[in-house]
Formats: sequence, C-alpha cells, structure tokens
Amino acid sequence: MLERLSRGCVRAVVAATVVAAAATTLTACGGESGGPTTLRFVWWGNEDRATATKAAVAQFEKLHPDIKVETEYSGYDAYFQKLSTQVAGGAGPDLMQLDRATIGEYEHRHVLADLAGMSLHLDKIDANLLAGGKVDGGQYAVPAGQTTQMLVLDPAKFTAAGVTVPTAKGQSWTWAQFTDAITKVGATGVAGTTDFGWAIDWFEVWLHQHGKSLYTAGKLGFDANDLQTFWTLTGSLRDRKGVTPATATTKMDGSTQNSALVGKQSASEINYDSSLTGYLSSYGAQLAAAPLPSDGKDTGMAAMPPVSFAVSQRSSHKDAAAKLLDFLVNDPDAGKILGATRGLPPNQDIRTQVCGAATGANKAVCDYEAAQRDKVGPAFGAWPTGSSAIKRDFQRTYDDVIFGRISASDGAKRVVQNAQNSLS
Amino acid sequence: MRRTQGAAYLFLSPWIIGATLLTVGPMLASLYLSLTDYDLFDPPKWLGLDNYRVMFTEDDRFWAAVGTTARYVLFSVPLKLVLALAVALLLNRPRRGSGLYRSAFYAPSLLGASVSLALVWRAMFASGGTVDRVLAAVGITTGGWVDQPQYALLALVALAAWQFGAPMVIFLAGLKQIPRELYEAAAIDGAGPLRRLVSVTLPMLSPVILFNLVLETIHAFQAFTGAFVVSSGRGGPSDSTLLYTLYLYQRGFTDFRMGYASAMAWVLLVVVAGVTLLLFRGARGLVFYAGEDR
Repeated sequence: MLERLSRGCVRAVVAATVVAAAATTLTACGGESGGPTTLRFVWWGNEDRATATKAAVAQFEKLHPDIKVETEYSGYDAYFQKLSTQVAGGAGPDLMQLDRATIGEYEHRHVLADLAGMSLHLDKIDANLLAGGKVDGGQYAVPAGQTTQMLVLDPAKFTAAGVTVPTAKGQSWTWAQFTDAITKVGATGVAGTTDFGWAIDWFEVWLHQHGKSLYTAGKLGFDANDLQTFWTLTGSLRDRKGVTPATATTKMDGSTQNSALVGKQSASEINYDSSLTGYLSSYGAQLAAAPLPSDGKDTGMAAMPPVSFAVSQRSSHKDAAAKLLDFLVNDPDAGKILGATRGLPPNQDIRTQVCGAATGANKAVCDYEAAQRDKVGPAFGAWPTGSSAIKRDFQRTYDDVIFGRISASDGAKRVVQNAQNSLS
Repeated sequence: MRRTQGAAYLFLSPWIIGATLLTVGPMLASLYLSLTDYDLFDPPKWLGLDNYRVMFTEDDRFWAAVGTTARYVLFSVPLKLVLALAVALLLNRPRRGSGLYRSAFYAPSLLGASVSLALVWRAMFASGGTVDRVLAAVGITTGGWVDQPQYALLALVALAAWQFGAPMVIFLAGLKQIPRELYEAAAIDGAGPLRRLVSVTLPMLSPVILFNLVLETIHAFQAFTGAFVVSSGRGGPSDSTLLYTLYLYQRGFTDFRMGYASAMAWVLLVVVAGVTLLLFRGARGLVFYAGEDR
C-alpha cells in the first residue's frame, strides 16, 4: 500500500473505511449468562455501599449454595447508560436497583416483572414506601430503604465563620438564617454549600415548601416562574460565594466521588441521608447532618425510598432473584451487614434492630432520621414516565445557566417546554 | 479462468459472509429503523422522514453537536497532521536510536482509543490536575480545562493530536520513498533545507498527505471514546464536548430513541462521504502522483 500510493488505491482504502466505520457506529453489545442459577445483581452507589452489598451477597450465597450471584456496580450516570444498553440487547441483569425516575420508565417498557405471586414478604415494609414501587396497579419494585433529604456539613467550617448549625433534635433554620450562614462561610474562602440548583430533587423540596409538586397526576406540577425563582435564588447565592462556582457544580451527580464537599470546595451539601455513610467514610467522621431550611410549616422533606430493587421480566431465574431480593430486605443478618448504606432498612423490625445496635456511620443515619421524624412528610410518590429525561434536561440546562450561556428565565422556560414534551 | 474464479470466491467467502451479516445487514436494518420510531423494546412504528425533519428543523442540540464536531474536526485534524509530519521529518534522518523514538512516538496511538487513557486525560486536565498546576507555575491560571465549557473541547483536541503516531508512521514510509537523487539535484542547484522541503518533500509526499488527511478527517468525525469518558457520557460541561457520535449514543441508548439515532448515523455517513469527496475534488491539481503524465 505504501509503495507508491496511486489514486485508485487511496480511494479504495478510503471507501472501505467509510463503510466499516458507519457499520461500527451502531453495533450493539451482546452477552450470554452462565449456568442455570447464576444471578446478576447490579446497583449504583458509593464504595461503602458496594462493600456492604457484596458482603451481604456472600452471606446469601453461603445460605444458598445452588445460587451464584455476580455483582456489578458503578456511578449513577454510567450505571444507567450500561443498564439500558444491556437490557435493550437482551443481556440485562436479573436483579437491579432503580430509582423514582426510572421505575415507571422501565415498567412501561416491559422490563420489570410483577412481583405479585413471588415468594416475597412485604408485610413489614411501610405502606408509604411500598407505594413508591407500584406502577399501573402492580408492585414492580421493593424499596431498599428509607431516606430523607439532609444538609451534610463540616461543623468546623461553620464554627470558623461564627455560625451555629441546627444539628440537634428539634432544631431547624429558616431560609434567611441558612443563606446568611452560607454567605458567612463563603467569606472565609470556601463556598458555604454546594450549589443545590443542579438537581431536580432539591427543587422538588422547594416546590413542596411552596405548596406545589413536581408532578401532579402525571402532569407537570410547576411552571417556568417557579423554576426561575428557584434558580434566581441560587444565582444570587453564587454571586455572593454562598454556593460553589460553576466548575464545581457541573460535576455533581450525587456521588461522593464527584462531590464538591468531599473535594473541599464547599462546607456543606444537600443530599439524601442514604449517602451519609458514604460521606462519613470518604470525608471523615466529623461531618454532621442538618435539616433543609424552611420558612413555613411544611419542611418539604419526605421519607421516601432512596432506591428500589426490581426483578427483570426477561430473567430466567425470577424465583432465585426474588429470593435474593427477599434476603436483602428481610433477613436480619443482611440487615446487619447492609446497615444504613441505602438509608434506614425498609423492614420495620430490622430497622429497630439495626438502629438499636448501630454505631458509627449507621448510627449517624439513624439519629438524623429520628431527629427529623416529626418534620418529615410521606413519600412524594412515583415519578411518571419521561421523568428521567426531565431530570437529565434539568441538570443540563442548569449547566448552561451557571456558565452564563442562557438566562435563568430562558433556562426555566426551556426545562418546562422540554418536560411537557417528555411527558406527553 | 472460471475455475480460478470459483476458488477465489471460496477463499473470499469468510469475508463475504462476514461483511453481509455484520456490515451490510445491520446497515440496511439501520436505514429502515431511521424511518421509524423505535424504543428498543416495542416493535418499530413507521414514521417516514419525520426523524430527519425533526432533526433538521426542531432539534437545537443536534445543531449544537454538529457545530461542536465541526470545530473538533477543524482543530484536531490539521494539528495532528502537522505534528505527525514534523516528527516524521525529524525521525527520517538516520541517527542512533531512531527506532526507539519511532516506537515511543507511536505508542500513544496504540493506547489512544482506550478508556483508561481518557481517564488519565480527565485527571490531567481537571482543576488542580497536572496541566492546571504546570500552567499556574508559569503564571497562566486557567483552572481545570475539562470543567469549563470554553476549554473542554481543547482538552479533547489535545488528546487527539497527541495520538499522531499512526499518520506519522505513514508519513515516514512515504518519506523513505522519495528518491535521494531529487535532493542531491536540488542541493546542487543551491536549494536550502526549507526550499527542499517545499519543492521536493511536500510535492513528492502529497498523495500520502491526502491519504492521511482523508483518513484522519473520517476518524475525527467518529471520535467518541474521549468525549464519552472525559464527560462521563454527558457531553458537558454545558454540552461543550457533545460530539455528534456522543449525542447519537445518548439518543439511542439513554433516551431510547433508536430510530432517531439511526437517522443520525445515516446523516453522518452522508456527510462524511460528502466531505471525503470534497477533499478529493479540492486536492485535484495539488496532489502529484509519481508515474502519471502531467
């Protein structure tokens, strides 16, 4: 080929490359599962959750020598990229972890098995939590825990700014106190809190405080004005260094790995308390949890499933998968091993046991949940199909807002318009 | 004659079967899917040309991805080729250890498409990463490139340009083919090094340059791994690394719009073929093919 490149030769090689390249663009991945009772179980989360889950799975394998469980885990974005590709290619896992944004979507695509009739014990699980796994009248997912929103913070950085934080039971703060606190911390050189405008989840809390909700009866429950107000609030805090700059906020995905707090770029961060164990193990035991600020009676915080487990409709070992699910949720040993790595255990009996004997990070979750019990409302309910696209578009648009490519008002309009398209 | 033809087809059959099943078949399937609404789970619904209409008239992100990809191609290809040619010229001189240098410069191309390398790149260009600190040491504070929309694509361009090994090797092979007599004659006529480069090397090398240009342009249009890994599959920050193929992937596998993604793949095919044709047209008269009457 390189002897002397004639015109014809160059053309032939190029033509072949164009065709081959176009073909590889859409080549999907395939896969085969192994022996008769090998299960695949996948989830996303931080390292501490992975360690605990793998230990629980090992315990399950010991009790059921005929079942082998392969596990996989990753970060949130990578998890769903991989899961959707595998499921579409018919190589999905048997047991998977889903969240509010994806349960409805996966059920509508006939990916999930109806759990009715499977040997599962759900009577010890709070009905409000269980409702989060119900779609179209069927139980398609089982909550893996109970969580609520929190502000996880480094008390030393707030003390250094001369601010006291309401971390004790019964304490709370107003928005004015909160914004004052984080701007004071911001003046010391580190952002008071991670910009909370990036996640639709925190906007949801804010909406509830204003008597609205993200979705009502499958329709959008807010308008562009609401979102503009919310993003104008975070924008003014960003100007005053109360919240993190755009370069830190753009990386947020709820994991401790990409957390601005763990990266020492902020002194606090809003997240679900099911991640508190992850924060404590990656940042240090000095972290504390405080409630989200609120002005009215409704704190907007809710007790909800952080994640849920679902069995694949296409699994050839549904019974074995249900057995594993039952074990993870209802077995006392599993409960002890898993602790609060997915929030409080969903089974009330096991929750009492785990919290009664809890130490360290697990105790921190139990204590926070106990302290907030009176202020926390029931679960917000499942999100409709299309909500995972809305969640992504929300964050993507906020990126454009914080980098100054679009105004908060235009961004809010775009989110609402795209959301209406996604829901229809 | 007939007999040898039969034997030829017999020997070709593994390729023919492979190409039909793995390339032509999927391509035709994707052409059909591009005319449907297909969510990967339910049977495709016929739409006609609706995917293409929406793409061209309603989808802002599509056009943003086209713009980003165009910038990426325009920056990365010339930079990579100039680097490849410059290094090839340096390595073409016989000197001790040139084999070692050749391998060393080629190594990034072998590793280039790998995910682990893109991860290293992300860490290097993050805020507080190697690049940030080295630049800060000489008084340039940019922050992390991959966290800022105005710099993120540059990090990807640098990643591409750094993998200049493959075109470099082809340039080297081309340089070896240039007859020494031409240089000797030019030297006798009093041509300096620059004159020899412009009047002997570049014209004699022009078919190889065209070859590399076309090949690298096609590769650049299809760049995916770097953007995917550096932005965790999101194309961020603020869609600044949303290359065409990444958006195609998102539509197909994240939004479950495989029909739309197929349509995008066909538009890419047509555009790449068109650009290739333009390059050939534009090169007419600029490329010198040895052995042809001129």
